[in-house]
Amino acid sequence: MPHRTIRARRLALAPAGVLSLALVATACGGSGGGTSAAPKDFTYLSVTENTTTRTALTTLSTSACKAENDALPLKVETIPQAQLDQKLQLLAGQDALPGMFAAGNAPALTKQLAKGGKVADIELELERLGVLDQLEPAAVSTIKALYGGKLMALPYEYNIEGIFYNKKLFQEDGIAVPGTWDELLAAADKLNAKGIQPFSASGAQGWPLTRLISGYLYRSLGPDALDLVDAGTARLTDPEYVKAAEEVAALGKKGYFGKGVGSIDYDTAMNQFLTGKSGMFYMGSWALANIADPKQNKIGTENVGFMPFPAVKGGKGSIDQYPSNIGLAVAFGSKTFDDKTGAWVGCIAENFGSTALKDHGTITGFKVNTPVKDSSEVAGTVRKTISGSKQNVLWFEALFSTKATTLSNTSAPGLVNGSVSPQKFMETVQAALGSQ
Amino acid sequence: MAIDTLPKTTGTGRGRPKQPPLRAARKAGGRLWLRLAVALLLVIEVYPLIWMFLTSLKSNGDYLDNSTWSLPTTWEWGNYTEAWTTGNIGLYVKNSLLAVVPALALILLLGTAAGFALQIMVWKGRGLTLLVFLAGMMIPPQMILLPLFTLYFQTGLSGTLWPLILTYTGTGLPLTVFMMATYYRTVPRELLEAATVAGAGILRAFWTISLPVVRNALLTVGLVQFFFIWNDLLIALTFTNSQDLRTIQVGLLNFTGDFGATQYGPLFAAICINVFGTLLIYLFLNQKVMKGLTSGAVKG
Amino acid sequence: MHRVLGDRRAILILLGPALLVYTLIMLVPMVWSLGYSFTKGNSIEGFTGSGLDNFTRLLDDPAVHEALWFTLKYAVIVTAGQVVAGYLLALLYVFFLKKASALVRTLVFFPVILPTVAVGLLFQKLFQVAPQPGPVNSLLNAIGLESIDFFGNAGSAFWVLIIMDIWRSMGFYAVLLFAGLMDIPDEVLESARLDGASGPRLIRHIVLPLSLPVLLSSLIFSVNGTLKVFDSVVALTNGGPGTGTTPLTLYMFQSSFTYSEYGYGSTIALLLTVVCLLVSLAVYRVSRRDNTES
Repeated sequence: MPHRTIRARRLALAPAGVLSLALVATACGGSGGGTSAAPKDFTYLSVTENTTTRTALTTLSTSACKAENDALPLKVETIPQAQLDQKLQLLAGQDALPGMFAAGNAPALTKQLAKGGKVADIELELERLGVLDQLEPAAVSTIKALYGGKLMALPYEYNIEGIFYNKKLFQEDGIAVPGTWDELLAAADKLNAKGIQPFSASGAQGWPLTRLISGYLYRSLGPDALDLVDAGTARLTDPEYVKAAEEVAALGKKGYFGKGVGSIDYDTAMNQFLTGKSGMFYMGSWALANIADPKQNKIGTENVGFMPFPAVKGGKGSIDQYPSNIGLAVAFGSKTFDDKTGAWVGCIAENFGSTALKDHGTITGFKVNTPVKDSSEVAGTVRKTISGSKQNVLWFEALFSTKATTLSNTSAPGLVNGSVSPQKFMETVQAALGSQ
Repeated sequence: MAIDTLPKTTGTGRGRPKQPPLRAARKAGGRLWLRLAVALLLVIEVYPLIWMFLTSLKSNGDYLDNSTWSLPTTWEWGNYTEAWTTGNIGLYVKNSLLAVVPALALILLLGTAAGFALQIMVWKGRGLTLLVFLAGMMIPPQMILLPLFTLYFQTGLSGTLWPLILTYTGTGLPLTVFMMATYYRTVPRELLEAATVAGAGILRAFWTISLPVVRNALLTVGLVQFFFIWNDLLIALTFTNSQDLRTIQVGLLNFTGDFGATQYGPLFAAICINVFGTLLIYLFLNQKVMKGLTSGAVKG
Repeated sequence: MHRVLGDRRAILILLGPALLVYTLIMLVPMVWSLGYSFTKGNSIEGFTGSGLDNFTRLLDDPAVHEALWFTLKYAVIVTAGQVVAGYLLALLYVFFLKKASALVRTLVFFPVILPTVAVGLLFQKLFQVAPQPGPVNSLLNAIGLESIDFFGNAGSAFWVLIIMDIWRSMGFYAVLLFAGLMDIPDEVLESARLDGASGPRLIRHIVLPLSLPVLLSSLIFSVNGTLKVFDSVVALTNGGPGTGTTPLTLYMFQSSFTYSEYGYGSTIALLLTVVCLLVSLAVYRVSRRDNTES
C-alpha cells in the first residue's frame, strides 16, 4: 500500500511538468493565427437548419450583387444549430470569427461577443453606406430591444407570433375568435368537449410552451414585463409572474395539449394542427410556408386563421403588441469587416428583401422594393399585421442567459404535465438568471 | 483486457471436437422456453432494422400520422435520392473513410507497439507508464476539446482532416494499449527471446513473431475501435469547420430544418445507407474474427 | 537474457510514437483544461483567475449533486445490465446454440453499429404516447393498462435510457465474453461433468470462476464507458425532462459551451475524472488480486 501511494504521488507530479510545457507551447503559438490579414472571401457561417438565407444570398451573388461577389466571393459554411454556441466560442477564442455568422442560439451570446469587441456595429456601417433606411423600423426596434439598444444583426427574417386557428372547427362549434384569455379558455373547453385537442404544441422544443407564459405576461403586466426581470427590478418568482406559469400549467392540467406533450416534436405539433386534429397552434409567421404547402396542410389555407395573443382582463398590455423576432440573428465579425464586406452589406440591404419574398416567400426586415402578391388570405393578414404593427414585444427567453434559456425550454413540458409546479418552474429559471 | 484469456485459445481450444455439454438437458424436449427466449431475442434485435427500413420509405405525413409500425401508404423510394444528395453521402463517406482508416491504422500500429514495449520488454517504470495510459480511459473526451481546438488552430491543421485523425488516434490509444498489453501477457517471453537468439533484432521479432500471435486480438480491438470512431459525432462536429470535411454522422444532422422541423423519410434513408454499409464491413470482418477465434491457426 | 528485452533504443522506437501522440492529444489538453478550473470566464471574454471558487461552487451546486447521482445510478445499473446480459448471451452461444450461434451472434451484435441518432429516434418511437401510442404503450393498452408518458418524468425516462443502452451494447459484451468462454478447456468441463456437475451447477462452480478474469475486465471497460455516457442521453432525452436525465458529461458540456462557463465545466470534468479513476482503481485492484491468485 505505501508503495502505491508513492506511485500515485509521482503520477500527480508528472502532469505539473506537462502543464508548464503546455503553457510554453501556447505562449509561442500565440501569434500563429494571422487573423489580421484581409479576408479572402465573404464567409457566412450559417446553421444547417436554415436554408432560406443562404440560398437567397447565393442568388444575390450571381445577380444583383455580382460585382461585390467578384471582389469578395461569398462562401457559405454550415453547422447544426445545436453545435452553434460551441463553435462560436471556439472560433471567437481564436479571433477567427467569420465575416458573417449566425449569432448564438440565445441573444446573450452575441452580447457577450460584442462586449469582447468581436461583433461589428452594423448601424454605424449602414449609416456610412447610406442604406440604413432600407431596414424596416419595426425590425430595427426589435433588434435593438434584443441587444441592449444596439443594432448588432441584420433582419434576414422578420417574424411575428400569434395563434393560428382552425376556422372550420371554430365555425362548427360556434366559437368566436377569442379576444381575451377567458374567452380563449372557453373556446378550448368547447373544443375539448367535442373531442378535439384544443392546442398543439411541441414540448420537445419547449419554447412553444414558454411563449404562452410570456404572452400572458405581456398582456397582464405590460410590454416591459420581462425588461423589468432583466433589469432585476422584478423577479420571475413574484406572484404576478408565477400567475402566468400557473395559467399555462392549468391548460396542461386540463389536458388541452393532448398526451405526452413533452415528446411531441415540432413536426408532429405542426402536423396535428394542419391535419385538423387540434384547434389552435401558437406559432410564428414562418409557419406560413407550411400552411401554403398542400402536402402538409390538409385543412386548406382558407381554413387557417391568425389571431393575436388574447388580452388579459385588467392587464396593462394590448393585443396589438405582437411578439416578434428576426429568426436566428446574423451578425458580422468586427475583425474582418473591411470595405469589400461593406459593399456586400450595402447590396444586401437594398436587394435582400425582394429576393427573399419573391423566391422563398420569407418576410424579412428589409424594405421590399418590388411588390409581391400574397399567397393566401392568412399570409396577407400576417403581412399586413407586420407592416402595421407599432410596438412589438419579445419572447420569454429573449433577454435570458443561455443557461436560463436552456432550463426554461427543458422544464416547460414538466410545467404542463404537472411534474413541475409553476412556482418551482419560475424558481428554476430565476435561479439560472441569477447565477450568471 | 476483456479478452484476457483469449489468446490462450492457442494452447487449448483449437481443433477440439465440438463437445456437447448439457447433452442431457437438450435431450429433454429441447428446452422449449430457451428456444422461445432466443426467438424473442431475435425479434427484439431484428425489428428495429425492419422498422428503420420501412420508415425510410415513408413520407413525412405518413411518419407523423400513422402508427409507427404500419407499412408506408406510398413507398417513397425518392427518399433515397433525397438522402444521397441532401446528406451528401458520397462525399461524407469518403471523408469518414479518409479520417477513420488512417486513424485506425495508427491506433493499431502505435497501440500494439506500445503494448509490446510495456508488457514484453523489461524496463523500469513500465508499470507507471501503463497506468498513465490507463488514466486516459478516464478522461471525458468533452474536456479536451477546447485545448485541442486551440492547438489545431495555432498549428494550422484546422481545415484538414488531420485534427480528426489525430484526435481519434489519441483517444483510441489508451484502450488499445491496455488491451494489447493484456494480450501480450499471455505470449511467452521465451518465444521472442528464442527468436532474437536466432539472430533477429527485437524490433524484427516484434513484427514477424509477435504480431501474428496477436493477430486475432488486433482484429477484435480494431473492430471495437472502428465502431467507436465511425459513430463519433462530438469530435467530428467540433473539428470540421467546412462542409467539404463533414463525416457521415455529421451529415445525418442535415435533415433537420429551421425551428426543429425534420425530414424523417430521407433521414432514415441516410441512416439505412450508413447502417447497411457498416453492416457489410462488419459481416466481412466478423467472419474473419470468428474464423480466427475458432480455428486457432496460431503456433503454441 | 533480459538484455534483448531491455534494449532502450527498441523501447523508445516501440513506445515513443504512442506516448508522444497520447501526451499531445490527451494529457496536455487535459492538464491544460484542468488549469481552467481555477479561472472563470470563457474563450470569448478571456479567462481570469478565480482561485478555488469553482470548487466551492461545485460542492454546493445542487445540479452537480443531481448529475453525479444520476451518473452513478446509471453507471451501476447499465454496467451490471450489460455484463450480465452479455454473459447470459455468451453462455447461450456456447452451451445452447453452439455451431448455430454465428447468426444469432451477428444479429445481437448489430445494434452496436447503429448510429446513436437512429437508436435515439427508434426508442422515442417505441415508447411514445402521442400522437399514436408506440408499441410499448399499445402492449400496455392491450393488457388493460393505461398508457404511460415515458418521457414525461425523469423516473420513467431513466428506465427507457437504461433499456436502450443495455439493448445497444449487450451484443458487444456477449462477443467479448464469448471469446473468454471459448477458452475454457473442454477437459475441465468434461471432468466436471463426470463428477456429476451439470446445468446451473456446472456453470456456477466451474464456468463462472474460470471466466472471472474476463468478466472483471469487461466490468472495468463497461464502467468507464457508462460513467462517461453522453451520446445516448443527448439522442434520447437531451437531459430532460427538465434536468432529470442529465449526467455529469452533459452538464459539463453545457456549462462549458452553452453557458459559457468554461472554468466551471473543467471543474465538473475533473470531478468526473476522479470518479472514473476511483472506480477503475477499485475494480483494477480486485482483478489484479484475482490474477495473482489464479
